[in-house]
Amino acid sequence: MALLEVEDLHTFFKTREGEVHAVDGVSFTLDRGMTLGIVGESGCGKSVTALSIMGLVPPPGRVVSGSVVFNGRSLVDRKQRELEDIRGRDIGMIFQDPMTSLNPTLTIGTQITETLRRHLNMSRDAARKRAVELLEEVHIPNAAGRLDDYPHRYSGGMRQRVMIAIALACNPKLLIADEPTTALDVTVQAGVLDLLQELRIEHEMAMIMITHDMGVVAETADDIIVMYAGQVVEHAKTLDLYDSPEHPYTEALLAALPQLEGEDVRHGRLTSIPGRPPDLIAPPPACRFAPRCPYAGQDDCAVVPPELREIRPGHWVRSAHPASERMGHPVGAR
Amino acid sequence: MVTERRQEFEASLIRTAEARGQEAGAALQRASLLRDAVHRFSRNRGAVVAAFGFVIMIGFVFIVPWVDSASPYAVDFSKAYIGPSWAHPFGTDEFGRDLFVRTALGGRVSVEIGFAATIAIMLIGIVYGAISGFAGGWLDNAMMRFLDALYGLPYLPFAIITVTIFGVVNFWTMVVALTVASWFTTARVMRGQIITLKENDYVRAAHALGARWYRVLFRHLLPNTLGVLIVFVFLELPGVVLGEAFLSFLGLGISPPKASWGTLAQDGYSSYQSHPYIIVVPALAIAWLILSAFFIADGLRDALDPRTRENF
Repeated sequence: MALLEVEDLHTFFKTREGEVHAVDGVSFTLDRGMTLGIVGESGCGKSVTALSIMGLVPPPGRVVSGSVVFNGRSLVDRKQRELEDIRGRDIGMIFQDPMTSLNPTLTIGTQITETLRRHLNMSRDAARKRAVELLEEVHIPNAAGRLDDYPHRYSGGMRQRVMIAIALACNPKLLIADEPTTALDVTVQAGVLDLLQELRIEHEMAMIMITHDMGVVAETADDIIVMYAGQVVEHAKTLDLYDSPEHPYTEALLAALPQLEGEDVRHGRLTSIPGRPPDLIAPPPACRFAPRCPYAGQDDCAVVPPELREIRPGHWVRSAHPASERMGHPVGAR
Repeated sequence: MVTERRQEFEASLIRTAEARGQEAGAALQRASLLRDAVHRFSRNRGAVVAAFGFVIMIGFVFIVPWVDSASPYAVDFSKAYIGPSWAHPFGTDEFGRDLFVRTALGGRVSVEIGFAATIAIMLIGIVYGAISGFAGGWLDNAMMRFLDALYGLPYLPFAIITVTIFGVVNFWTMVVALTVASWFTTARVMRGQIITLKENDYVRAAHALGARWYRVLFRHLLPNTLGVLIVFVFLELPGVVLGEAFLSFLGLGISPPKASWGTLAQDGYSSYQSHPYIIVVPALAIAWLILSAFFIADGLRDALDPRTRENF
């Protein structure tokens, strides 16, 4: 049985202008110890998907329909009190900006022990001991001596390590990392990613890695979901996705990556995807990528909404013209 | 030869890197937010002077009535209207009472009322604002609209009405009168603080770690408002002291023979042409306390607000 099963999840935000369909029918499963990458541009519903799983969607947002089954138990329609017991103990979460994720008025030690004492009923001394171990585990030098420091004495990378230590404190079965490296500079990013990978294997955790950086997921994820405008547009094994992307959006995302070497190295300007993501209050009626898709207009894909279909074993795509079924070049090819 | 030098060079590189690593790992001199704040406050000369002035004034009003042998109430007409001298540093009033000890004693009443009312204002404002900001939604809306309605109440007339309704003027009725129409701003500021802080990632992180609401409120939100609240204490205090003086000056204050700075000023007002020192002394005392409190508030704000760290 899978650790996490998300089925047809819909999360809407009620606003004055109308309902924002932030997550619109997302389904996936995640097995124990596996890593799932969720990629997509800002506002495509990646983070809201994560928050929906945790039951932390801020008002006026609401999980309208769908199911989230974690470890055999449903998480939707669960009382807040029960969810609070699960959060931090069974599911850990890391946020984007480590500079603001720690409370400036509490010491690092207090913030780590808080979770331990809350969920595992540890004594003060035992929690402190465990906190030092955790800091050592995330490679903070002189961990015991730095336990009583306040967050402003830690650098961004160190703070993210502390956040990881806090998220791992109770040995969760699932770790949700919401853009864990976006706010860090590149060298620190690599360190944090390596650390996450190392700890994930050590603790036998499953992980959901949310990012807009195709490079980050390539290294860490087993499976990748590409989201666009609240929907899953492609879902495949990492290697399969990079080797043979099917959805025009995924192709465009990969084409936008700067290439440093190889035959197809480009000089000069980087490519970008023309247009902007659609309005999620009134999304395009059929294929949501149609307005930006170079292949749209060849058939009725702007009228009939494409279904998410399995184009080959383990490779799902939501498009009327995936790469392997395409004939010739698009109109106005790049 | 070349390889040897190369090895040497590499070894030295490793040594420096190791030293750097140890340096980075070593616990630096421990500093807390509080110590940083004290450091910044102590570099603000005006605030430090004001803090000394404030302490001196508090010491004056609490210690002098206790050590001075002169009775603040004994009437002796043979000593009426003596100007400032060694025996009577601030002179005597129309009943021959020593103004030095009376100013101190009156100051004690003023300061005590001031502190009590400030504490009451802070408590009511914090609780109201925190509930409103933390709950959000319709409750927040209802509480804020109610506050908007109360905002229309003018401060001093409302205090006067309160005193009149009670019918008696003593310490507690004065505190109530000064509190009743002056906690609105504190509540609003508190609500604003809580709402801003609620959006912080560490509050979201606390929720994501399974913290219950009271833990989020008392551990993550309230401590972070402390800086603003401390500043607010020193901004509220002068207003309350001035309000008390004003009420007393209008004859709605502490009844004689007891005195506060306001009643002393009123006593002096009746004879300010012939004996100006009688009104000057309590007026200066009030100004002293208010100005020092404002300067302290200013210094504290700079010291506690991390956004104004330009001189750090």
